[in-house]
Amino acid sequence: MMRALVLALCLAPALAAAGVRPSYGGTIRIGVGTAPRLGDGAQGPGDAFVERATAAPLLELDAAGALAPGALAEVPLPEAGGRAFRLRLRPGLADASGRPLGAADVAARLAALLSPDAPSPDAWVALPVLGADALAERRASLLAGVQVLSPTELLVTLAFPLPEFPWLLAAAPLALRGAGPFVAQPRRAPQDPLVLVRNDRHHLGRPFADEVRVVAVDPRGAARLVEQGGLDLVLRPEAAGGRAGPVLRALAATVALVNPARLGPGADAARSALRALDRTELARRFVRGPAEPLRTLVPPAILPGAPHDDAPPAVGAALPARLALLADSSAPDQRALAERIQVKLFDRGIRASVDLADGGRFRARLAAGDYDVALLVVPVQAVRPALAAGQIAFAARGARAARRTMAALAGLEGDDALAAAARVARELDLVPLVASGVRASPAAALQGLAPRPDGAIDAGALWLLRRGAP
Amino acid sequence: MSATAVPIRLALLVLAVCAAPARAASPPALDAVAGALAREVGPPVEGRRALLLDVETRAPALAAPLETALDAALSSLGYAVTPLGGGAQPERSARAAGQDWLLRVRAGLVPGRREVALIGELIPAWASFFLQRRPDARAIPPRIVQARVAADPETLLLAREAAPTGAPFATVRTLARLPGRVLALAIGEPGEPGHAAIVAVTPEAVVVLSPAGERIAERLDLPGAARPVRDPAATVAVGDFGGGRIALQRAGAARGEVLALRGASLEPAGALDAAPLCAGEAGRLFGGFEPGTGVLRDVLGPLVDPATAPRSPRTLYGAACAPRGGPLSYAIVGTDLAVELLGPALRPVAPRAPVSTGCGFALADLDGDGTAELVVSAADPAGPERLRVLAPLAEAPLLLESPTVAGAVLAGAGGDVTGDGVDDAVLAAIVQDGGSVATELLLVTSDPREAR
Repeated sequence: MMRALVLALCLAPALAAAGVRPSYGGTIRIGVGTAPRLGDGAQGPGDAFVERATAAPLLELDAAGALAPGALAEVPLPEAGGRAFRLRLRPGLADASGRPLGAADVAARLAALLSPDAPSPDAWVALPVLGADALAERRASLLAGVQVLSPTELLVTLAFPLPEFPWLLAAAPLALRGAGPFVAQPRRAPQDPLVLVRNDRHHLGRPFADEVRVVAVDPRGAARLVEQGGLDLVLRPEAAGGRAGPVLRALAATVALVNPARLGPGADAARSALRALDRTELARRFVRGPAEPLRTLVPPAILPGAPHDDAPPAVGAALPARLALLADSSAPDQRALAERIQVKLFDRGIRASVDLADGGRFRARLAAGDYDVALLVVPVQAVRPALAAGQIAFAARGARAARRTMAALAGLEGDDALAAAARVARELDLVPLVASGVRASPAAALQGLAPRPDGAIDAGALWLLRRGAP
Repeated sequence: MSATAVPIRLALLVLAVCAAPARAASPPALDAVAGALAREVGPPVEGRRALLLDVETRAPALAAPLETALDAALSSLGYAVTPLGGGAQPERSARAAGQDWLLRVRAGLVPGRREVALIGELIPAWASFFLQRRPDARAIPPRIVQARVAADPETLLLAREAAPTGAPFATVRTLARLPGRVLALAIGEPGEPGHAAIVAVTPEAVVVLSPAGERIAERLDLPGAARPVRDPAATVAVGDFGGGRIALQRAGAARGEVLALRGASLEPAGALDAAPLCAGEAGRLFGGFEPGTGVLRDVLGPLVDPATAPRSPRTLYGAACAPRGGPLSYAIVGTDLAVELLGPALRPVAPRAPVSTGCGFALADLDGDGTAELVVSAADPAGPERLRVLAPLAEAPLLLESPTVAGAVLAGAGGDVTGDGVDDAVLAAIVQDGGSVATELLLVTSDPREAR
């Protein structure tokens, strides 16, 4: 009871300075950089917003960054030396259609993320579970580490001790689909505005707004629409409109992947040149939104500081004859970063060309190893060093690397985590570059905007202030 | 006695009664408290009947009526009462006038209770045969006597102190601090008649507080009794609700409930098919929550009638009743922050100027002029919280604006908390208390005793 009350208080819509309670109803219009996608592998802030709006996280993060119950009735405690966690779901949980949700749905979600038939970009959250590799490699048909004990209880056994596992439960990929405060409506084309309608069955209660519309806008259009009252919130790297809003933490990590198989003996020189880049300059001058230099695989918003044991630059290494720098043209700032790196490589005698590929093509080439050096941006979704590094390792080098990374950083904080993260980056041949975020630019009428420490915005808590009297 | 003497004496008696100046009856409470004090003094002993009466009161208007009531009460016991009527040295005056006793009485209202209290010193004034060389010595030790009774409205009127010159219209002070967020407030007499109390509803409990802010009773809410609502809300009223005097409904709950205050416990006494919005002398007001939300439908009615049709499609934050009715009996605040004022028959009353408020508001006749003032919180969520006292029907509506108040004021209620017979208002400011939430109850009062 008390925990539920504490959660209710923690998650209660942020009160404004003066005494105005939230009101219900209306449509909130949100502008984002790219049209939001539905499905796994959130890339931009629009995807992340929609994912959180349409799914119910198993655990929530409160304003102070502590875990709080979400779809789970309580924050699970480690058992068996940190290798097992008993998850108890909130009774009466249902999706928007009224279908009851329970332990079997959590188990099914974990298994679906690892399905070899439809590999998910979010599979990293299920990798620590015992038997995840066997399921993903078709050596088993069931996830060995998951036991459904009752309709509302399941026991998750991990392949290795991971004290941070409860923070994985707060990550969006494990949220229960269809049980969020809103339900996405079908749209004709991916570029059309996405309409989310309220879900009165959400476990926290009916969301304040009746409807949320998410639409892609360019920077100029965003500023104009906010000023004219056409948008209530803009989530873009740059500020829109005259009203300063909160900065969502810089959790999108851009790393450079070096491909020694393609670069041969020139890999050392490329690696050395990339490590010598002035990351502060990159963050300050070539990223439009709030950004910080990335010293390890873990964004400084999660793990501040720099490692002491940075590897020495290679001396006298052979230069590659030519180097192609692959970048994702659909991700913000990647072109600018690639072009700046191209210049810096040229300064060090490396002739580089920028090779831009959008979304799907980029990922396909990355998976096939078809690059010399690639810039990869990973929106980090779990705010613990082991998990953040694991997610980046998964996106860059696959499941085995991710599992090794999480195990290597498990339980580490502070300097130990910094050193381990730097070591893992070298082992994976990754060069951390910058961490970037986005700004939330709200209209004056929008209330309840309180980004969480993981950058998430609770769409259900947003409401519009109406005035009928002066 | 001759046969003719009886009619003559009866006629003389009737003439004497008719000719005597009409004696206005004292307020019952003054008679009662004077009688109680006289009984404490007791009948004259050893034939010492001469008594000099010195009455001093905080409110000047109370002195003369109280003196009259005491005179009558003491006279009925056999004393020959002489009112002092001023004078710097009453004891010396009593001795000089050959009085047997000096009764010095101080009177006033008991803070926080609607009671009038008298404290007297019964001082012997005759010269002691054994102490002739010390003419100022008292023959026997003096005695303290005291009495206290519930004050009626007339006594409250007389005993109310005048505000000092230049004093603000009202003062604001912290009355109590409660853990958690107070969702709704009501002021009234939930238990014994004459004993005011504050009823606060939090997400976890219903709490009854004394006018001094002390916890009288508490009832914890049953978990899971209501469907979850993102913005927890409740309504509460104190009045006649059948089996109990406290009625409340939480947002998300299927029905309202009635509680009875018995001693230090709150006991269930019934259920309601409507949300009790408030109660005052103009009547009770019932409404209903918009399903799944913490706001109310625009339904107002004096009866519990689930079939009452909404007045409009708009939604409401809440309603307030003026404790003593009057031209402004009700105030309604919509979720558009528009304030609607209603008379006793629920007919709209137009304010002189537009009125705005936040979600914390109350109607209370703070100055006792018969028309309730509106105590409101700030309507601008971007600005700091302040309390304002408005007289919506006056030429200059703004009577008071408080300094910045910590927290967000989200609930309020009106009623006599200080016990001076005039309404006060209590507003709930939600504040951060370390890592948790607490509520400061702020008292807004024009009682001059609070200004000292």
